[in-house]
Amino acid sequence: MSSAEVLAAGEPPTPVPAAPSGSRRGLPPLARYLLVRLALVVPMIWVLVTLVFVLLRVIGDPITAAQGGRLTPEQIAERKAEAGLDRPLLVQYWEYLSGLLHGDFGRSLTDNQPISEVLRVNGAATLELSFYALVVAFAVGVPLGRLAARYRDRLPDVTLRLFAIVAYAAPVFFVGLLLKLAFTPFGWPSSGRASTSTLLTLEQVRPRTNILLVDAILWGDPRYVLEVLQYALLPALALGLLTGGVFLRLVRINLLQTMRAEYVTSARARGMAEGRVIRKVAFRNALVPVVTVMGMQVAMLLAGAVLTETTFEWKGIGYALAEYLKARDFLAVQGIVTVIALVVCVASFLIDVIVALVDPRVRF
Amino acid sequence: MAATTLAGLALAACGAGNTGDTDAGILVGTTDKVVSIDPAGSYDNGSTQVQTQAYQYLMNFPAGSTDLTPDAAESCDFETPTEYVCTVKDGLTFANGNELTASDVAFSFQRIVDINDPNGPASLLGAMKKVEARDDSTVVFTLAAPNDVTFPQVLATSAGPIVDEETYPADKVLDDDAAAVKAQGFSGPYTIGSYKKNELAEFTRNKDYDGAFGTPKNDAVTLTYYADANNLKLDVQNGKIDVAWRSLTPTDIASLEKADGVTVHKGDGGELRYIVFNLKTMPGDDDAQKTAIRQAVASSIDRDELSEQVYKGTYTPAYSAVPEGQTAATEPFKELYGEKPDVDKAKAFLDEAGVATPVELNLQYNPDHYGSNSDQEYAMVKRQLEATKLFTVDLQSTEWTTYSEERVKDAYPMYQLGWFPDFPDPDNYLTPFFAPNNFLQSHYEDTTTTKLLDTERTESDATARAKTLGEVQERVAQQVPILPLLTGSQVAVSGDDVEGVDDTLDASFKFRFASLSKG
Repeated sequence: MSSAEVLAAGEPPTPVPAAPSGSRRGLPPLARYLLVRLALVVPMIWVLVTLVFVLLRVIGDPITAAQGGRLTPEQIAERKAEAGLDRPLLVQYWEYLSGLLHGDFGRSLTDNQPISEVLRVNGAATLELSFYALVVAFAVGVPLGRLAARYRDRLPDVTLRLFAIVAYAAPVFFVGLLLKLAFTPFGWPSSGRASTSTLLTLEQVRPRTNILLVDAILWGDPRYVLEVLQYALLPALALGLLTGGVFLRLVRINLLQTMRAEYVTSARARGMAEGRVIRKVAFRNALVPVVTVMGMQVAMLLAGAVLTETTFEWKGIGYALAEYLKARDFLAVQGIVTVIALVVCVASFLIDVIVALVDPRVRF
Repeated sequence: MAATTLAGLALAACGAGNTGDTDAGILVGTTDKVVSIDPAGSYDNGSTQVQTQAYQYLMNFPAGSTDLTPDAAESCDFETPTEYVCTVKDGLTFANGNELTASDVAFSFQRIVDINDPNGPASLLGAMKKVEARDDSTVVFTLAAPNDVTFPQVLATSAGPIVDEETYPADKVLDDDAAAVKAQGFSGPYTIGSYKKNELAEFTRNKDYDGAFGTPKNDAVTLTYYADANNLKLDVQNGKIDVAWRSLTPTDIASLEKADGVTVHKGDGGELRYIVFNLKTMPGDDDAQKTAIRQAVASSIDRDELSEQVYKGTYTPAYSAVPEGQTAATEPFKELYGEKPDVDKAKAFLDEAGVATPVELNLQYNPDHYGSNSDQEYAMVKRQLEATKLFTVDLQSTEWTTYSEERVKDAYPMYQLGWFPDFPDPDNYLTPFFAPNNFLQSHYEDTTTTKLLDTERTESDATARAKTLGEVQERVAQQVPILPLLTGSQVAVSGDDVEGVDDTLDASFKFRFASLSKG
């Protein structure tokens, strides 16, 4: 007996309410999923921005922290008024939020630079370094992870797992110093983004991106491209190996799990060679968690960039953050940390989108 | 990475084929940071470094000399005991084409006083009552005290750069360095071309410069900024830069002295590292006991050990408030308390004043303002004092922001400080420390010392002045309001092919790019 027959025999059926127009039921699963994620990102950003604001007020008055030793009480009061720090906390908070919405991150206390300008110029440098580091991480982690999975529990696997642990566990500045010690005796550049004459030349590129590789390409001289890559190698290795270690272990584990899946077994049963099974069937699925982890790695890359950029004089966001922290310029620190938090949130959302596109299961 | 390289190379090879490559000239590296290019907003080594090359001063110190020489001035002299008058050279211009006249000079000094920026050098102009342009070429400084022989030297300090009245605002510091560079109000040996704050500054020879530094021996110098002294060391060692100027660590300098291809240059410095006693809060029941404790401490310090063990000889022992190399410097601390620790002498000071031993000393130092070696330096001071068994030392460190606030609030009975001279004159080591209401605020005030200081500042006869300066040093050594420990020489490291570094490492503490050339 069907449910309709049961209802017909008893009470009259309750009318099913019509779906309201625009109901989520009407949306395709992917759009619904992304909408929910987006709805979560906005409050998350608000919480982060508020947290940064509150924490940097809790630790004390930024003017005194940055310049207190040299200022009279009257000068401190004057500076506070100039920076708007004499106003009620809620007013400051409102001005801070509306400033952020207009891309105004305030000015640094120590060198009076607009933070948005620091973010624009130094952000490009960090973006460039992060790109190189991700290239290194993929170049190291993915093929070596595959290799380790293929030779499971044999010597190559054990060696590679050990390498992954060391790469992941070693502090990035320590790896950086080791690389510098190893390379500089051969004249390899150990700091900066390019030689001074190249930097001066690339200053003339219009439009200028501050991503030196792009600027060098726009300038149109292969010598500069090579030089920029030469300077980038050590910091990219220092930062990329860390993430490469994580990728290696992830690819290995996921590949091994995927290899036990039924569809892989059936591929083998159809007579497909093991190498082809890995390459054609298992590998793509094994990469899904790597992409997910990549989102989290953005935060790690930015954290690692502070140390890497300082070690290699790579004048990016991390370098600026370290310098402003040393100078106790907490207004500048507030602006930079806020942007880092925003980047992590947005990256995490974008990774959700990518994963949803790659793996249909997460949409449902 | 390989794919990116190949793609980049291919694209670059198909690029616009630019040929305007830039020659960076002589490359200098530093860890000093710039606060502001505008002289009204800075009074620090990093900013002075840039200002020395780009601005002209009325009077200046040519390379290798501590004798004031006309720079933008034709001549300067006292017209009356309180009026110091300078005549400005004819035909001087700023790099932007504007004329440099007496009015610009008066404007430059007055705006420093008017703006009175907390990071600025207004305090250096305390002796100036007013400044005005009498006509296009004459500027008159009216001074607070008659015959102040130290004032002419102030003209060559951070308070002295001449800026363009037409492009610099009278009431505020130029809002950023880009504006200062854009204004091109420079008339020094160089103008500034490409500029990225605390990253890179390109100095190009100013062909119209007519001043104390003479014709620059190079066409361009590029200054690169480092955050880490280790990178500065590696780059000069590997020839990536030509000169490393401030501040390599003592260990790096010792290592570079043995390296091939580079030369370590040392010159007069005048930086003083010393301990300040707060005469109100230091131990001791009365003035006699407090003095005895200070004298006993002075008899217990081994400066040679500090110099060699901590600073590898880059700082040398200081036995006077006026460091060796300065005019009229003497060594009264060596004579009164000995060159090496003398426990018997220290004990005698304490016994005579009835001080019970061991004396508990609370010693503060700062770990982030005077270099990372302060940790080792003060650990050794503690060890040396406690080795006499006459003292127990509670050693504490505080970060600079708090330190600089607390030290003037009587929070520290004994504490570390350092001093860079504003100008190469012994008075710059005496009046700021021992005159009434001095910047140490250590409650030291002595009528005889004050009288001696007033005398030396207004004494025009050099021999008589040297005698008075010797008397001040002797008196300070007897009373020990501060204990001089070490004096720092200036150290620069250059490639073997660079010439002229030694010429500029003199007591005026001006690193002149105009002296540098490559062989």
